[in-house]
Amino acid sequence: MSDLLYKELRLAAHPSLFIFMCMGALVLIPAYPYGAVFFFGCLGLFQSAMFDRETRDVFYTALLPRPKRDVIKGKLLLAVFAQTAQLAMSLPFAFLRALYLPEGNPVGIEPNAAWYGFGWMIYGVFNLIFFTRFFKTAYKAGTAFLTALVPVTLGIFAMEAAVHFPGMAWLDGTDGASLLRQVPVLLAGVLMYAAANALAYWISAKRFERVDL
Amino acid sequence: MNALTVAGLTKTYPSFTLDRVSFTLERGRIMGLIGKNGAGKSTTLKSILNLVSPDGGRIELLGMPFPAQETACKQKTGVVLGGIDFFQHKRLEAITAVTRRFYREWDQGAYERYLREFGLDTRKRVSELSAGMRVKYLIALALSHGAELFLFDEPTSGLDPVSRDELLELFRALAADGSRSILFSTHITSDLERCADSITYIKDGKVLACAEKEAFLRSFQHLRAPEDTAPLTLEDIMIRTERRTLHV
Repeated sequence: MSDLLYKELRLAAHPSLFIFMCMGALVLIPAYPYGAVFFFGCLGLFQSAMFDRETRDVFYTALLPRPKRDVIKGKLLLAVFAQTAQLAMSLPFAFLRALYLPEGNPVGIEPNAAWYGFGWMIYGVFNLIFFTRFFKTAYKAGTAFLTALVPVTLGIFAMEAAVHFPGMAWLDGTDGASLLRQVPVLLAGVLMYAAANALAYWISAKRFERVDL
Repeated sequence: MNALTVAGLTKTYPSFTLDRVSFTLERGRIMGLIGKNGAGKSTTLKSILNLVSPDGGRIELLGMPFPAQETACKQKTGVVLGGIDFFQHKRLEAITAVTRRFYREWDQGAYERYLREFGLDTRKRVSELSAGMRVKYLIALALSHGAELFLFDEPTSGLDPVSRDELLELFRALAADGSRSILFSTHITSDLERCADSITYIKDGKVLACAEKEAFLRSFQHLRAPEDTAPLTLEDIMIRTERRTLHV
């Protein structure tokens, strides 16, 4: 495991982050807006950022024999770890749901390939806005979270609402044909997530170099 | 080769400027950085380490340009900036388990020896340590990874006289073989009289004087008053240089 990720998990991550990583299990609730799972994923990282501020983790990390910008690398590694783990852990529950609750989710989107694609997109947008805002100062976590929350909430609402339009009903399917049609959404999500994280690192590192600790 | 070269280090804040600070620390030497509170000692040390982003100047640590070779420089530098004030609720053993992974030359034997010498219990949490023990823990970490340059910010603040004496002895022992160098800031001038080879005096963000200790003391003797019977000490020099009348 990377030393930076080990440091994040052992010293920096707030315990609530690990609880929110298990929130993928919510897809077993028969009727629920599953977009909330992504909100919890974002909330866990916000809690961790506030915990970092309280524990002065950024200062500790900046003293380690690594470039100053590796502070950002550590935080993004933790975000990618938590978000990937959360979505991976939700997979068995999504399969169980398809098996035992085939009547569908009346509230919004099903936990299908499109849902995972949108999840990656939403997490990408959150990481890009949250980390680039936070590392302007390395302490204003609340402002960064609220700013990132606007597009995240809009994205979740759009995803949940879209499946109620007849022309977008294929986004809600869990049958083979619908899942196949959703694959491009999933791939687009993964690509957007990778690009957003790369951009988040580049911008955050540039800003953080100028921050006085 | 110098252990540390600082040339023209500048950092401007709205109400304070660190103004072209320059000095060099030779290998195997101990330099004291003095100045009253707010003079710029901590800003200088933080700027050297890129924790504060300087507006200008050149830094070389152990002959390597910084921050161009930031990782290599930090591997060979032990840093103690005040007492430990991070991870208050973590046990020392957890912090060490993480910290040691980042240092290529981590010496577990030396670390355990320093823990015993300093009477540190690694099962304790940071919040359970006294101010002095927190400094000692950071010093134990700094001494355990093969550092050749030590940067200490107020390392003796909060220590009892016995611990301070031990620490100053340790500084002398570290620099004795000529391979390790120490720059430490303090406003406890008696510490410098005991163990510094040279002194850099910062006043209002500028280097007022930088010289070998004896030469430094001699250069300020013009501040002696007719009633003074003995040469001025470092404390006398600081007080007479900085003294101003408070109008309250």
